[in-house]
Amino acid sequence: MSSTGERDRVWEVFRQEGEGDPMIHSGNVNAPDEELAMHYAREFYGRRGESQRLWIVAREAITELDDADLLKPPFDRSHKKPGGYLIKHKLESARARAGEHSGE
Amino acid sequence: MSLETEAGSRAAVAELLLSVADDEFVIGFWDSEWTGIAPMLEEDVATSSIAQDEIGHARALYELLATLTDDDADRIAFGRDSAAYRHAALLEHARGDWAFSVARRWLYETADAVRLSALARSRWEPLANLASKMRREETYHRMHADAWLRRLADGPRDVRARLAGSLVRLWPDAQEVFAPLAGEEELVRHGVLPDPMAALHATWQAEVRANLAPIVGGLAPAQPSVDGRERRTDDFRWLHGQFTLVARSEVGATW
Repeated sequence: MSSTGERDRVWEVFRQEGEGDPMIHSGNVNAPDEELAMHYAREFYGRRGESQRLWIVAREAITELDDADLLKPPFDRSHKKPGGYLIKHKLESARARAGEHSGE
Repeated sequence: MSLETEAGSRAAVAELLLSVADDEFVIGFWDSEWTGIAPMLEEDVATSSIAQDEIGHARALYELLATLTDDDADRIAFGRDSAAYRHAALLEHARGDWAFSVARRWLYETADAVRLSALARSRWEPLANLASKMRREETYHRMHADAWLRRLADGPRDVRARLAGSLVRLWPDAQEVFAPLAGEEELVRHGVLPDPMAALHATWQAEVRANLAPIVGGLAPAQPSVDGRERRTDDFRWLHGQFTLVARSEVGATW
């Protein structure tokens, strides 16, 4: 209520569809406190029985990292990706050698 | 038990079902008047959804009543004259401002919780089962009403004053949720209603007076009255005109 002079806070909502499923970010709700945030999250992301579990997180509690220097380095870092290191051919030749030794 | 076959018992059970169903039905329609204009978007969805739940509970009760009296749930809900509704005087008032709606919902939810905990122990199984199911949803309604009562009670002076004023104004009519029913003795004797309304009222009143004391500084003890479910006013006649509008426009239509 605007008459209470409070600022609404934003709460990020994650939902789990079935037991054991990953928690997936669903969206967010505005609410002045944790209690109402829980009610609103329930109404927006659970009132049709579609959720097994909800996580309701105050946005300010989230540590955000979106620094391009840290996340998108300017140099080629493909060797840090599993696909960047071409182990496939080495494996093939190793298998070939092992095959020779076993007398196939 | 001879409930379904004995005409006298059946009439008593029907009256009980109708009183609970009409309470749920009417508060559902009053609160749905907030759709689109609640204090914030999220609350709008929450209030509307809770109002819908209440109408859903009313529907289940009307259906149970219809099987008992060989009637039709839609006819009971929408086909009666406004004077034939049996909701408590608490639910007679127009929705008022937000503080008024919060005060009423809180008073109603607390009374309904006491009533449902008794009905869940009913010896008439269909009612006990339905009451248990309703309680699961009402727990959430109660939490929501508690949250708002506290928010307004902790708010600035004018907000607190509006809340307190509404609670004081509604206090006498809130007792009427426990107004005695005509066939009550029989209901208690058969265990359909495990405790008399007077006992449920005493439980509710003690709890509620204690909880509200910090907000309104002590409410005087009050009692339900015999006609507590029979006072129809222009407020309700207007609402009745609204919620029967579609049903009246094409009598007997199905969808």
